[in-house]
Amino acid sequence: MSTENHHLPQRIKLIWRISALGSLVVFGAVTGLIWLAYSYWDWPFWLVVVFGALTIIEFIVEVALVPYRYRFTRYQISETAVEMQSGMIFKKRVAIPIARVQNVTLNAGPLLQGQKLTKVSVATASTNHGIEGLELNEAEALRDQIMQLAREARHDQA
Amino acid sequence: MTKPKRTHPLGLFLHMAHAIKDYWYLLILLISLYNQPVWFILGWVLVIGAILVWPIVRWVTLSYRVTPEAVEINSGVLVRHHEHIPYARIQTVQRKQWFFLAPFKLEEVTIETASHDDNKPEARLAAVPTSLAGEIDRYRQGAPAPTEVAPAVGEETTNTFATEEPASTGQATAHYRINNRTLFKFAVTSTGFIPLLLILLALYNKIPRSWTDTLINDATHLALIILVIGALVVVLIAWVGAFLWTYLRYYHFDVTLQGDQLKTAKGFFQRNTITAPLRRIQAIRIKQNIFRQWLHIQTVQVLLASKAASDDDDDDLVILPAVPQAQLYDVAPNFLGWLPNHMPDLGALNVADRHKWYLVRNALLVAIIPVAIATWLWPHWWWLFALVLILAYFQGLFAARQTGGQLLTPTMLALQTGHVWTKETYYVPADMIQSMRLERSVWMRRKQLMHLVVNVRHGNKNQSIELRYLQAKQAQRIYDWYVRTV
Repeated sequence: MSTENHHLPQRIKLIWRISALGSLVVFGAVTGLIWLAYSYWDWPFWLVVVFGALTIIEFIVEVALVPYRYRFTRYQISETAVEMQSGMIFKKRVAIPIARVQNVTLNAGPLLQGQKLTKVSVATASTNHGIEGLELNEAEALRDQIMQLAREARHDQA
Repeated sequence: MTKPKRTHPLGLFLHMAHAIKDYWYLLILLISLYNQPVWFILGWVLVIGAILVWPIVRWVTLSYRVTPEAVEINSGVLVRHHEHIPYARIQTVQRKQWFFLAPFKLEEVTIETASHDDNKPEARLAAVPTSLAGEIDRYRQGAPAPTEVAPAVGEETTNTFATEEPASTGQATAHYRINNRTLFKFAVTSTGFIPLLLILLALYNKIPRSWTDTLINDATHLALIILVIGALVVVLIAWVGAFLWTYLRYYHFDVTLQGDQLKTAKGFFQRNTITAPLRRIQAIRIKQNIFRQWLHIQTVQVLLASKAASDDDDDDLVILPAVPQAQLYDVAPNFLGWLPNHMPDLGALNVADRHKWYLVRNALLVAIIPVAIATWLWPHWWWLFALVLILAYFQGLFAARQTGGQLLTPTMLALQTGHVWTKETYYVPADMIQSMRLERSVWMRRKQLMHLVVNVRHGNKNQSIELRYLQAKQAQRIYDWYVRTV
């Protein structure tokens, strides 16, 4: 059984950093709205302070964790199963037998598209499991491989 | 039958009853609005629309037709739906007959397929002749000759169980009827009284203050006794209510195995018959709440890949509502071949004694924040909240004790959990496990612990069976088995 432990492509770190920036903008906008509420409707000032602080802390933590997130996210494909691993403090490892795979979906937002990356989600009859980002050609190969193996597995069962 | 037919006019009443059941809160809202005329009138318009006009329109527009190829349903008011259900696609057929429909030989038929769409059944025909379900059944089994499939009626006072020769495809191969004593025990130990209790308490708060005040003023010296008696009466009412509810719903519970179809029938006022194919079963669950543990009775359910038995406990099809614990592994395997014929040893997965504390701690952590807030808001109820903490403590201990599991055969996994004072034993074949997950935190790594999560399809959703704080080696062994077997 050939089982290789793969990391995600390096560029996913950039995507994560940009998405951290995105959440900074969203939280910043919320803080801005609260500030408006403070100046027009006399909402308490501490709300603005708390939200502002949360926004900045969230951003710093998210950016700081990127290398760790990268190190602890892995996937692995064998003849029979796809396995995914993630999380550093709460480590999770999930096994999806290829025979149970119903479909594999690739989707990429503008950010991922720009980097020629794509998300892969593997669906079974009841659950959904995702790999956060893969090279486009790698993802397509993966999808074809899984679907090929899935067809064979079904064939064996019948 | 060539022309689409409408359902019987009596179906209209059923539609209305459904509407009342769905929108009863509108009525309550209406009563509370009596002093605001504008809203009051608007409320009436809404209520009449919801429970009178809408059902009539729905009834008028609904028609059905049974052809040798498929069941066809036409429905919809503004957007016309034309549903075409080939027999091969049908998963479960459910028949519900209210007692007042019996003289008219009518019943409600619900047909369900495995489509992922939504949680609504494909077709619900409110009042159709009882012959219809039989006709559909015949077409489903591909047998055009009308064979009578009346279930063999057992004696009512004993647990009758018969294994007959499968004479023809329509013949029952196994049959079981609950006896009255077991049903009584089952109903007495229903936990349905807890939600009822909460409703009664809510109603108690709605009693005008002036009444209770005068009562208390009249009998200040008896206040405590009245309070205690009042509480007992409320509990009693809730409990009797839950008892009747369960007893009447599971009255004369009957289960029959016909070829590869499991058929259950139950109910006093409403006879509810469900037919489901064995091959759609995803897992078997044996359930026992703590009261039933004391009385030694257990419930057997199956998790199906369709949303058939949504009126049953937890949306699962109940195969045997109550079986004496000692008989379970004699009776149940006749219907469900997966089950072993004796109580298996579930020691291969467990929470070690020194690790039980983690489950207790987590239960306490969940309880402590609401308790702290509640105590802060209503300090004089502190004893009640302390009780909650004690309950949480024992729940944690209960969960730890019940956790178990074993590989029964190379392809069959048994898992046991203790969730909300209920022991649940699952039997899941490797083929039905959709995915499996191991979880561990940094701290658990040092202690050599792991959580094991097994995902099974349940209705159109996922059911995860979670065994927490197992020893890492045991959990890893099951995980490795899974990856290897599939």
